[in-house]
Amino acid sequence: MRTRDINKESTIREKAIEIIVNHGFDGLSMHKLAKAAEVSVATIYIYYKDREDLIQKLYTAETKKMADATLINFDPDCHFDEGLKIQWLNRIKYCLENPYSMQFTEQLRNSPLVDRSVMDRRFLDAMSKFVHNAIDRGELLPLPVEIYWSVAFAPLYQLVKFHISRSSMPGRPPFILDEKQINLTLGLVLKALKP
Amino acid sequence: MFCGDLRHKHSAMEENYTTEAFVLVFKTNINHKKDVKLLGQILDAQSDIISWNVDLSDIDNVLRIESTFSDCSRIQELVTRAGYHCEELTD
Repeated sequence: MRTRDINKESTIREKAIEIIVNHGFDGLSMHKLAKAAEVSVATIYIYYKDREDLIQKLYTAETKKMADATLINFDPDCHFDEGLKIQWLNRIKYCLENPYSMQFTEQLRNSPLVDRSVMDRRFLDAMSKFVHNAIDRGELLPLPVEIYWSVAFAPLYQLVKFHISRSSMPGRPPFILDEKQINLTLGLVLKALKP
Repeated sequence: MFCGDLRHKHSAMEENYTTEAFVLVFKTNINHKKDVKLLGQILDAQSDIISWNVDLSDIDNVLRIESTFSDCSRIQELVTRAGYHCEELTD
């Protein structure tokens, strides 16, 4: 009798994310994954019903990890400026430590392949409480959530991408996301979101 | 034998039940939705098959069966009789 092998399962996950990030969704076949994870195709199907199930489960697991990391030392009742700074630092730390995970969730953010409604409730509730508190206290401009998210977090993810890929705008040296650059950008973001 | 080997307990969290089930995995040539539907009529009629699916998005067109029995040849026979190729995927 064979039981679920946690190590095997995590290798399958890790390799699947690497393949998707490097070769896109169409680049992920069960054969390729089996080879990369050094398991048989049959083994993958013990853990996952099909490719769709695999991608959905990867998404759920990765967003959970990201949510846990994001909520460290975060108090939804704190001042908006302070809370957003903690959010930024937590998210940057997570992305730099888990570059594949970050690129994977970015790839899926706008993809019809996953049901994003499975996203961690604890995380969504904390974020929602944080934002509504800040609006009530006059620390944050009331905005449609898409606009709020794009102003508050998209700059961070873009700069992290520059940093991870060691790239920049054409003709510029590779961008390094250090404390100075973080504070500069965060300052601009906070200014933009002030009522 | 691969499928006899695969006995594992479903976690209660995931599937909401704790009966022991076997996962049987086959490579097939079932590659259209209409074939899946046709085969479904046969598989759904088996009371000891808990669930099944065909992965149409991958080249092996894997038929994955969760059942209370571990006898691969039973599935192979059903699928072959329906006119499809069905080969046990070994470890």
